[in-house]
Amino acid sequence: MTVPVLAVRGLVKRFGGLTAVDTVSIEVHAGEVVALLGDNGAGKSTLIKCVSGVHVPDAGEIRLDGRPISFAGPIDARQHGIETIYQDLALANNLDVPANIFLGRELKRRHLGGLVRTLDERRMLAASDTALDALDIRFPSLTQPIESLSGGQRQAVAIARAVYWEAKLMIMDEPTNNLGVPEQRKVLELIARLRDQGVPVILITHTLPDVFAVADRIVVMHRGRKVAERRAAEVSTNELVQYMVGALDDFRAEAAP
Amino acid sequence: MASKRWSLVLAGAVALAAVGAQAQEKLKIGFLPGVVDPFYQVMQVGVEKAAKDLGAEVVTQVPPTWGVEAQTPILDAMVARGDLDYIITAPVDKDQMVGPLKAAADAGIKIITVDTFLGDGDYANGPVTFPLSYIGSDNVEGGRISARGLAKAIGGKGAVYVNSTNPNVSSVEGREKGFAEVMAKEFPDIKVIGPDYNLDDPNKAAQQTQAVLEREPDLAGVFGTNVFSAQGAGTGVQNAGLGGHVQVVAYDATQLAIELMDKGVVTMVLAQKPFDMGYMAVEFAAADAAGVTSLPKRVETGFAIIDKDNVKDPAIARFIYQVPK
Amino acid sequence: MTDIAPAAPPRPAAERFLLAFSRLWAWAFLGLMVVFFVIAVPLASGGSASFLTLRNSQNILVAITPIVLLGLGQTFVIISAGIDLSVGWVMSLASVASALAIRAAFNAGLPLFPSVVAGFLAAVAIAALVGAVNGAIIAKLKVPAFIVTLGTSFIVRGIALLMSENTTVIGLPAGVRAYGNEALLYVIRGEGGGIYFLQPPEVTGELLRRLDRVLPYPVVVTIVVVAIAMFVLRKTQFGRHTYAIGGNLEAAVRTGIPVDRRLIALYMLSAVTAGIAGFLSTLRFTAGSAVIGDPLLLSSIAAVIIGGVSLFGGAGSIMGTVIGSLIIAVLTTGLVMLNVDAFWQFIVVGTVVIVAVLIDQSRDLIIGRGRRGARR
Repeated sequence: MTVPVLAVRGLVKRFGGLTAVDTVSIEVHAGEVVALLGDNGAGKSTLIKCVSGVHVPDAGEIRLDGRPISFAGPIDARQHGIETIYQDLALANNLDVPANIFLGRELKRRHLGGLVRTLDERRMLAASDTALDALDIRFPSLTQPIESLSGGQRQAVAIARAVYWEAKLMIMDEPTNNLGVPEQRKVLELIARLRDQGVPVILITHTLPDVFAVADRIVVMHRGRKVAERRAAEVSTNELVQYMVGALDDFRAEAAP
Repeated sequence: MASKRWSLVLAGAVALAAVGAQAQEKLKIGFLPGVVDPFYQVMQVGVEKAAKDLGAEVVTQVPPTWGVEAQTPILDAMVARGDLDYIITAPVDKDQMVGPLKAAADAGIKIITVDTFLGDGDYANGPVTFPLSYIGSDNVEGGRISARGLAKAIGGKGAVYVNSTNPNVSSVEGREKGFAEVMAKEFPDIKVIGPDYNLDDPNKAAQQTQAVLEREPDLAGVFGTNVFSAQGAGTGVQNAGLGGHVQVVAYDATQLAIELMDKGVVTMVLAQKPFDMGYMAVEFAAADAAGVTSLPKRVETGFAIIDKDNVKDPAIARFIYQVPK
Repeated sequence: MTDIAPAAPPRPAAERFLLAFSRLWAWAFLGLMVVFFVIAVPLASGGSASFLTLRNSQNILVAITPIVLLGLGQTFVIISAGIDLSVGWVMSLASVASALAIRAAFNAGLPLFPSVVAGFLAAVAIAALVGAVNGAIIAKLKVPAFIVTLGTSFIVRGIALLMSENTTVIGLPAGVRAYGNEALLYVIRGEGGGIYFLQPPEVTGELLRRLDRVLPYPVVVTIVVVAIAMFVLRKTQFGRHTYAIGGNLEAAVRTGIPVDRRLIALYMLSAVTAGIAGFLSTLRFTAGSAVIGDPLLLSSIAAVIIGGVSLFGGAGSIMGTVIGSLIIAVLTTGLVMLNVDAFWQFIVVGTVVIVAVLIDQSRDLIIGRGRRGARR
């Protein structure tokens, strides 16, 4: 068994009196897509925020490539290769594709013996072109502000950014919300391509069809606890719904009395 | 009075100029006062009347606010027109406007200053000599007259407050100086507070006056050194309910000042003669254009002292600043 | 090959025209205004006055110097979706500080040039301090820029009036005038004329009348500052981050842009350009004035808006601000030369500002920015 890229063991996170994440353990291996399901308030966002460095867990352990780790903040997590794409994508509408891909990490050129540093727009454009090519994404123009791109295209930019910076683990929060059907399909194809290139993906979603389209494994949370962990091919929609509403619970025996 | 003697000389020069003006191109004069207020509006009436009488053309621009940053660009634009022979102006700062006005003079435009002067006002022997002449009130004397008037009204003792407009303006500076001089020499029992600067905002003047009224229980009199100061200070006294108890001497006879005098808030109003200033300035320009070389470098126009007793007298009332409809 | 949603269908011709127009309308308007005045001024003055003279062009450049300098800093700040209401008073404070510094240095025995340098340093240092305070409160305490800069503008105003003891700061060495008013080139028009570099020819009388100053030093300084600003905004990471912060603050934070540091730098920048403007004003009038910047704040914002910088942040250029400033200055000068009441300038400038905002809004509608709603 290979070392999982991400291993979370017994993670607990509380906010005041509320236990948002209650002793959750999951593993994600290279080249797999794990869907994280659960109704509102199930704790999936909180779990993800602990993994991506936004929150500090109250108990439990996170291991990256087998080594225990704790993050000083989201930028720290990003530097370790955990890229999170939230629903609002963190893109700047007024800037173009290369500018967004390199946002905050712009490439520079030195002039006048290092006194003056300017943006290396040529290199950034070339690099963006290559990254998008690798994902088989085509845009009509790379130098227009992205505000005129469609939702699916903007998702693609966010994904390309994460890939360029060599994400070890991609976390995507509701990527197909607000997208039309054809665009949803395209985004799911991208996720599949990522998986095929070996990048593991954690997919938070409400949308069951997406799950069956692209996930390898499914983890369901309910009221802060993991209630199911099944292979996508071995579970039905009906069962998933029951897990999500709490009618079914595979780990009830382990739950605290 | 000085102005009478000069009037005779001017009469001759004007006649000459009138004849000369018909013969040559029309004289083009620029008029650039300090700001929009009744004093300069009356001066403009004088300027335009003289222009009409003497066959000259006047181009007038009034800065919207008082300040070198407002007056200078307008001055520069007037110079750049290329067609003005003279500019009659009230410089808004006696030091900062020297440069821009000198540049205008270098460009061939002769400068006549009215109401305020550049440098020390002595264009014959002082630091600034390029302007043709200064025509205005003897503001130091006006300050002295105001001081004596206010001292008399408050019975020779108590505290008085001076509210003024802008620093470094020759006209109000002169008034402050004359006022302080007389108070120090002739009325040692009177304490002088201020001057505060309201930057040409009557609302500010009212606020400042009220503030002083609050903290100075012995305040017996207020001297407002120009149009807005007088209006503001008078309003301040009135708003504090002290009209009649605190005596106000107002420099500049605006309608409002006269109204306040009717209400008993203002004791004495010092009217300058802006119409005469404006009229004479144009006369000087015409005379100079006709070749007169003996124009005086300084002309002091007089005052009319208005109080409750003579305000109805038409001979005096005509000095109230109002623009005929 | 994945075509992530095919490209949007090409815009209808009307839309494309409107988009192009919205980018260029300021230039077109400026051109139209100049043509108008070139024709109207001689007509109105009976042929004696003319608008497009060398002297007038330089007057206009000198007149826009403070507006452009204030507008430059304001452009950066507004692109970052902020605003700086304190620039007018910072300019005044800098004017007073530099006058006091020049006077003190000269009286202490320093020669003219070092005294002037002392004035420059005083202006820039005090401005940078105000800017840093603005930026720190906005970034760290998360108080909206509008409120912070409004508050500091009152404090700065008080300090300026205090330092100047409520009067104009005079008594500067006479040589200072030269720094503020002399020029790179001198041109004597017409007969016996010529072009002179750096040193004004010693002439009097008729030749003096025809002497024009071309490229006065304040204008040269402004051109240099404009060039630097354009470079920084377009070509450096700092400029890119400015656009990002204005475009999507959340995204900027999450992608690791040091937003707090950038904001402090931005407000220091806008204060320092105001400081330079104050210093130049002191040189020009050989005096420090605590009230000189007051009316210029609104003009600078008007110039920035007319120049196409969106008040919502994320878009705009330095060139736009320069065009906006030119429009205001050409308008003011032209109206004076037409002998029209200068108050009309306020009405016209106000109208142009509203038109500019409407055009900006219509661009948003066409591009579809509107459909995504508020960005923060």
